[in-house]
Amino acid sequence: MSWKAIHRWLGLTIGTLAVVLGISGAVLAIDPVQLAWQAPAAPGDLPVATLVERVIRTVPGAEEIRHLPSGAIVVFSFAGDQPQASYVDPADGRVLGAWQASALPRWIKNLHRSLLLGDVGRWGAAGTALAMGVLCVSALVLLLRRMGGWRRLAARVRGSLAQRIHVVGGRVVLVVLCLTSLTALTMSASTLGLVALDTRTEPEVLSAITGKPALAGAQLDMLKSLSVRNLRKLNFPGATDLEDTWKVSTAQGQGWIDRYSGQMLAWQDATFAQRMNDLAVVLHTGEAAWPWAVLLGLVGASVLVFWLSGIVIWWQARRQAPHITGNTPLAQADVLIFVASEGGSTWGFAQTLQDALSQCGHRVHTSALEKFQTVAATRQVFVLAATYGEGQAPAHASQALAHIAQLKASDVPVTVLGFGDRQFPAFCAYAEALDQTLRAQGWPALLPLECIHQQSGQQFARWGDALAQALNKPLVLAHVPSVPPTAALTLIARQEYPGASGQATAILRFAWPSGSLRSRLGTHGLARFSAGDLVGIVPPGSAVPRYYSLASGWEDGFLEICVRQMSDGLCSTHLLGLKMGESITAFIRPNPGFALPRTRKPVLLIGAGTGVAPLAGFIRRNDRLTPMHLYFGGRHPAQDLYFGADIQRWLREGRLARLQTVFSRVPDGGGYVQDALRRDADRVRGLVAQGAIVRVCGSRAMAQGVAETLDVVLAPLHLSVSTLKAKERYAEDVF
Amino acid sequence: MHKPLLTILATACALALPALAHSRQVTLTAQLKNYGGDGAYLAAYVTDAKGAYVRTLWVAGGKAKYHKHLSDWSRLSAGDAKRLDGVTGASVGAGRTLKVTADLADALIDAGYEIRIDAAAENMRDSPSEVRVPLSKVNVGKPQAGQLYIQSVTFQLQ
Repeated sequence: MSWKAIHRWLGLTIGTLAVVLGISGAVLAIDPVQLAWQAPAAPGDLPVATLVERVIRTVPGAEEIRHLPSGAIVVFSFAGDQPQASYVDPADGRVLGAWQASALPRWIKNLHRSLLLGDVGRWGAAGTALAMGVLCVSALVLLLRRMGGWRRLAARVRGSLAQRIHVVGGRVVLVVLCLTSLTALTMSASTLGLVALDTRTEPEVLSAITGKPALAGAQLDMLKSLSVRNLRKLNFPGATDLEDTWKVSTAQGQGWIDRYSGQMLAWQDATFAQRMNDLAVVLHTGEAAWPWAVLLGLVGASVLVFWLSGIVIWWQARRQAPHITGNTPLAQADVLIFVASEGGSTWGFAQTLQDALSQCGHRVHTSALEKFQTVAATRQVFVLAATYGEGQAPAHASQALAHIAQLKASDVPVTVLGFGDRQFPAFCAYAEALDQTLRAQGWPALLPLECIHQQSGQQFARWGDALAQALNKPLVLAHVPSVPPTAALTLIARQEYPGASGQATAILRFAWPSGSLRSRLGTHGLARFSAGDLVGIVPPGSAVPRYYSLASGWEDGFLEICVRQMSDGLCSTHLLGLKMGESITAFIRPNPGFALPRTRKPVLLIGAGTGVAPLAGFIRRNDRLTPMHLYFGGRHPAQDLYFGADIQRWLREGRLARLQTVFSRVPDGGGYVQDALRRDADRVRGLVAQGAIVRVCGSRAMAQGVAETLDVVLAPLHLSVSTLKAKERYAEDVF
Repeated sequence: MHKPLLTILATACALALPALAHSRQVTLTAQLKNYGGDGAYLAAYVTDAKGAYVRTLWVAGGKAKYHKHLSDWSRLSAGDAKRLDGVTGASVGAGRTLKVTADLADALIDAGYEIRIDAAAENMRDSPSEVRVPLSKVNVGKPQAGQLYIQSVTFQLQ
């Protein structure tokens, strides 16, 4: 069983009990906090003899003094027949009030340690603690795998909201949760009788009656030399039993003192098991330090958050689980499709490919990549592979590459199609590794490796056109990804630009819908968004959404995009044809890798054409006046200087520190944006040396040109675009 | 208020003293106070006229980890390897009653022997020899008060 399976199934099953223990533990953490407020801690260096003297003065019938882990002093006595337990002020022995071990109902503690089921429940609670420990260890393994190693552990977390909560939260509390499980197991071991803390019996000791009067506590040498810091408990000798002794318990052990001679009659050192148990109790309960108890309480409550977000993650993955319909048995299929998918979306593309090939008369068999093989009937093989984390295989296909490397190649062409996200430094790295391995083994390919960015249906369709040509079949790949819940957005303003080469362009502003509470709070739809996120727009007559980068955030109160007319563009035609008051169907897709983190470092924004839109959104919300530097490339200042007036205002307001525009279709316009960067090499180097964060938005070719230029510019700093990407200082949004 | 009766029947093993042929049944009833804590650990045992341990009648509370809080019993009975054999049960909740039956040799009655009970509860004070009841016919049916945990103890002979 894989770590992931262990983590998932333990979490879903025993996780429910862990929630009970976590929440009850969080409630129990109130006690140490409350106790800390009730009475002052005794100074650690106060001699116990002095403390006894003070206590005797105010509580004549004192029978026992306890030094609580919180530092407070409690005295047990009788008032007549009534047993009493009181806090005393260690400074003068003054009685401060009654002591109670806990202010909480007892059932909470019993729920926490035995689930209210007695001994069976204690085993259950211990089992839950063990499961929690295993969950923590598996979580660490998965966390390191996801983040790409120890050194990247603190990096930004990508994924759905539930995944981010789960991973970010896990990073913070994992260590404490692990410690809590370990200490719980330590305590359970002795409670359940698996470990004996102390098998010795107390010594048979009596005070020797010599006729001399009994000594007062303050006269005992042992108590004079013992500081309160080390005291746990001091039992006075009984008033009526003349042979009774003093009994003193410290962190180191316990001793019995003759009441007449003051001699230590016997001493037992605390056992190793006892000390370990004491340590476990202090760490588990936080009773010695209330801030630690607060932390433990928060961590306990967080178990609920992990459980809930874990269930959501599991549910999301389950919904995306592969359901391939119309599968031909392997032996009869002439086309095989092998899939490596992390979230499950790649299976959807495989289904589209299978359906299209089937319609062309092929018999297709689709299965997971780890089952890669060819049989006598096989004529074509397609591998659809997503990449996980730092270029790793999706979990289920972890052994597939090694498996393929051992197979003997045949003359059946194997074509690889990669799926990934350019925001990740290792974009489609796993698909590339697969392709290289296959070629090295000698497998031919029908088409060269193609990498699909962010599940782009359009890019997939283009690959389908190439495939249709290669197969000479009328094949159309119309992939319809599942679209999240959408909302209707109403156009409230539009700003026209003639656009370059006659392609009309407009900045469209939509009202942010007041919407239902659910859609605002929900993880889908139009919850919170920020500049740089994407809005998915589903044009009438199509089920495939088109994505536009947002030039505004939810705080701006509107949703703004920059749309250029594409030839035969269904969506751009729809958008540019909108009249005021008309609405579109849209949803938000987060683009967390591109969003700007809160930073005091300079920000280098590089955009071309409509690619300036998300950068304009960053500048618009730059309320902290972070130094932002914009390199903006267009064709002609009269055609495509988008947000031109706004940019001038932002310059005056200080939201934008510096602007550099270049225009490629104007004589002496400065060329392309990368030319401006090359000319400004010193300044750019200076900004990057100061730790600048870089955001690039524009066409694929533009981003490529910028990256190549910056690699040259940054070479003297021994930096490159790829090292900046690895440090999450460089991100691209390309279209 | 009706207090549920916790009845535990213990058939004690044959008495260690060989010469004593006759025995009789003793029923010990301990009513606990509402001391406001978790279930109490109790150890009922017999000591002789010199305070030496004779045998254990009952131990309520099964976790060996906590038995040292019944400190007199724990110390005195240390040499008795069979002290827990067949005479253990659950801890006794506050306000509840423990009822124990055991066979005792005739010779123990009116001979200076006494029944002692040690008591303890979590986070509260240990109460070794919480109550001491001389095994004499005049004490039969006579309630004896404890200190911290036990409201009253009575024993009956049959």
